[in-house]
Amino acid sequence: MRFADPDQLQDYCLNLPPVPPRRLWVCGGPGCLASGAEDLLAALRMEATKSGLKDTAELSCEPTGCLGLCQRGQLVTTEPDGYVYEKVSVEDAYEIVDQTLLAGLPVSRLCQDPSDPKAKNHPFYLPQKRLIMRRFGRINPERFDDYLRTGGYQALALAVRLGPEEVAFRIEASGLRGRGGSGFPAGRKWKACRTAEGDQKYVLANGDEGDPGAFMNRSLMEGDPLAIIEGLTLGAYAVGANQGYIYVRHEYPLSVARLRLSISNAEQCGLLGDNILGSGFSFKLSVVEGGGAFVCGESTALMASIEGREGQPRVKYVRSTERGLWDKPTLLQNVETWANVPLIVENGPQWFKSLGSESNPGTKIFSLVGQVRRSGLAELPLGTKIRTVVEEVGGGHLPGRFIKAVQTGGPSGGCLPVSELDLPLDFDRLPAAGTIMGSGGLIVIDDLSCMVDVARYFTKFLMTESCGKCLPCREGLAVIDGLLNDLCQSKAQIGDTDKLKELALTLSETALCGLGQSAANPVISTIRYFHHEYIEHEQGYCRSGRCQGMFIVNIDSDLCSGCGACQTACPSGAIIGRERKVRQVNTSKCISCGACLATCHFGALKTARRANHE
Amino acid sequence: MNEPSQYLGPMIKGTIDGLSITVRPGTVLLNAARTLGIHIPTLCHHEGLPPDGNCRLCVSQVGGRLVASCIYPLTADGFQAQTDNERIRYARSLVIALMLIRAPEAPVVVALAREYGVTEQPRLRRVTADGCLRCGRCVRACLTGGAEAVSLVGRGTARIVTGPFFEPPPDCVGCLSCARMCPTGIIGFTELFDRRQIWGRNFQLVPCPTCGRPWATEEELARLNADRLCPACRRRAMAEAISSCPTEN
Repeated sequence: MRFADPDQLQDYCLNLPPVPPRRLWVCGGPGCLASGAEDLLAALRMEATKSGLKDTAELSCEPTGCLGLCQRGQLVTTEPDGYVYEKVSVEDAYEIVDQTLLAGLPVSRLCQDPSDPKAKNHPFYLPQKRLIMRRFGRINPERFDDYLRTGGYQALALAVRLGPEEVAFRIEASGLRGRGGSGFPAGRKWKACRTAEGDQKYVLANGDEGDPGAFMNRSLMEGDPLAIIEGLTLGAYAVGANQGYIYVRHEYPLSVARLRLSISNAEQCGLLGDNILGSGFSFKLSVVEGGGAFVCGESTALMASIEGREGQPRVKYVRSTERGLWDKPTLLQNVETWANVPLIVENGPQWFKSLGSESNPGTKIFSLVGQVRRSGLAELPLGTKIRTVVEEVGGGHLPGRFIKAVQTGGPSGGCLPVSELDLPLDFDRLPAAGTIMGSGGLIVIDDLSCMVDVARYFTKFLMTESCGKCLPCREGLAVIDGLLNDLCQSKAQIGDTDKLKELALTLSETALCGLGQSAANPVISTIRYFHHEYIEHEQGYCRSGRCQGMFIVNIDSDLCSGCGACQTACPSGAIIGRERKVRQVNTSKCISCGACLATCHFGALKTARRANHE
Repeated sequence: MNEPSQYLGPMIKGTIDGLSITVRPGTVLLNAARTLGIHIPTLCHHEGLPPDGNCRLCVSQVGGRLVASCIYPLTADGFQAQTDNERIRYARSLVIALMLIRAPEAPVVVALAREYGVTEQPRLRRVTADGCLRCGRCVRACLTGGAEAVSLVGRGTARIVTGPFFEPPPDCVGCLSCARMCPTGIIGFTELFDRRQIWGRNFQLVPCPTCGRPWATEEELARLNADRLCPACRRRAMAEAISSCPTEN
């Protein structure tokens, strides 16, 4: 099928074959896939065939994009009832097919709340507004018709009627801001690229997601690749580009495969290629696999990498919209920003502005990980309080622990203390508090994590990922890393914290690219909010029991339940006491390994300074 | 080489350290400052090479932010640049402190350290003092000369200048541009009679046809397509040619 004009596309969409009355969607997100979603899908299909459902017409067990609640995977959701099943295994396949697919009844034992099995009332989904992720759990990302059935390419059909000026106007009026991290107004970028001189222009999508613990771009590329492609097509139409590239990191083979498949599907339908929908506009799109460097997510390094050069940033005093890829005007945006474009073009800027907050309209996908009860992928309106995300979506702290900080924005972001949790998640307020939005990573840190160690971890990551081009980032990070290592190994000297702070602040002023300028953020923000921990480390004490040899353990006899979990965990026999009795610590035997600390669910284990003579 | 040609339009006016100056748009801040006689320290920059802006020693302040003078183009009318204030000196001294870790004995770094009152801090030493600041002047010299024999390889602190696969570079012509461009003088080469050794390669030096002094490698001369005269003999030959010209009257 090749669509010659928007009407043909619309006719086709209206006359798509009907879908089965009940459908099972198996989460195909990265986490669930790793824990065996394919086996589960096969088992469900087998059970369904056994029970006499005919292929395709009645039977529908399909893989879909990430359902978000990764910690409770594998997940299965149902249509039209909207149940969500958690921790599903192959053994549950029969019951799910028998109860849900055939009879439409929930399998209560697989639901979070047996009395209310619907996903929309689940505490994880309740505060969310899933727009970018609206097709997750509704389409098979590899099937083109599924995309069309859920409103796909309606925006493009509308756009060719509206014309490029109107498309660009809608984006500008919507107030959409770049989802890659800095929140640069997309409309301004579009306008600059549109008005830039040059007959050859490019549109690029940045899918080089490199932050540890972040997987929102990956889920998007795997779960709804065509939304990104449609967004890019709209962008190219608006700015007058005829060639686009999606830069995807090499470590995401499924994203690459799905994007390539979707591109070839779109080409076959005439939605990419020459004379799209009879508008006279031609656009070619290809996928470029990244070379495996974190810095390639930086715009100039990304372009260098596409050009086939070493993935290194260049000094950027001229914007990419003027001189970007191959020195031609280039419009580069994150894949999530592109996925927003069809929604805005179709529903109009006013609709988009009604979401989120005043200067930060729309929704944003966050990956919530760390020490919370429910980790996963959540889409929330911008301006949502961090507390809402942590406590409602994430379900709060783990038993016996308390939350100490939330790290936002990936490795070059910063840590916010509990007192700042009422901050709204947006592009303006987070930088004011010393951190960044980044690509939307949220890592919850509890009392068992040491803030100096957290800073050390991120600095280490950034040091190994620094390209080494400019001197402050290359040499400065090595020095900062060294000083942090000393702090975590009780080799520090008094005054090291001040030295660290000086170095970090100057590094952020002098480094060449965005990576270097933000590389000191973990250190700066932890010193800002957790200065006392740094000072304690200078004196050789780690209050969280993370840095080995820098504390001893005491047991609070009022809180100890006598369960003995700590005693079992202690490798040196320092914890003594009898069954069901309050335990005690023989401090002379304690080797400060911290093995016992995580085992206590009652908060009875406390760290204390080691006596000086030890 | 430093003036990007894509800027057009009328001359622009602004101030550097309070001194007013009129420049062609796109003029690099460093060059503009030099025409005013303002000194900005540089290390990775060289007039004969494309600017790279990687050492960050030449940071100056334009508006509210620090920029690398050697590569920052002045484009807007009414620019206000500062090349020396407390913030700039502080940033530069950090850069110099980090340079001291890598190249504590290089005269250029020692002189900078003295100028900015930076002393070596042993506690900051986390990498080996191999004398190389990774400024890439050698690589850019090699690229500009056309040989492209050595390049910067690796990431972060592991970045080094080397030939392909860490082996003696087969494309090296032994011209010594890299060694002459190295600000710390760490690129080692030896010359003994008519032999030259650099980057693990051995070269035979060709004698000058006039004076007989072995002065350049065969590979270098092939690339330059020169008349094989050594610089001193070439000057003499030129001078003789000029003096033997018939005068007009």
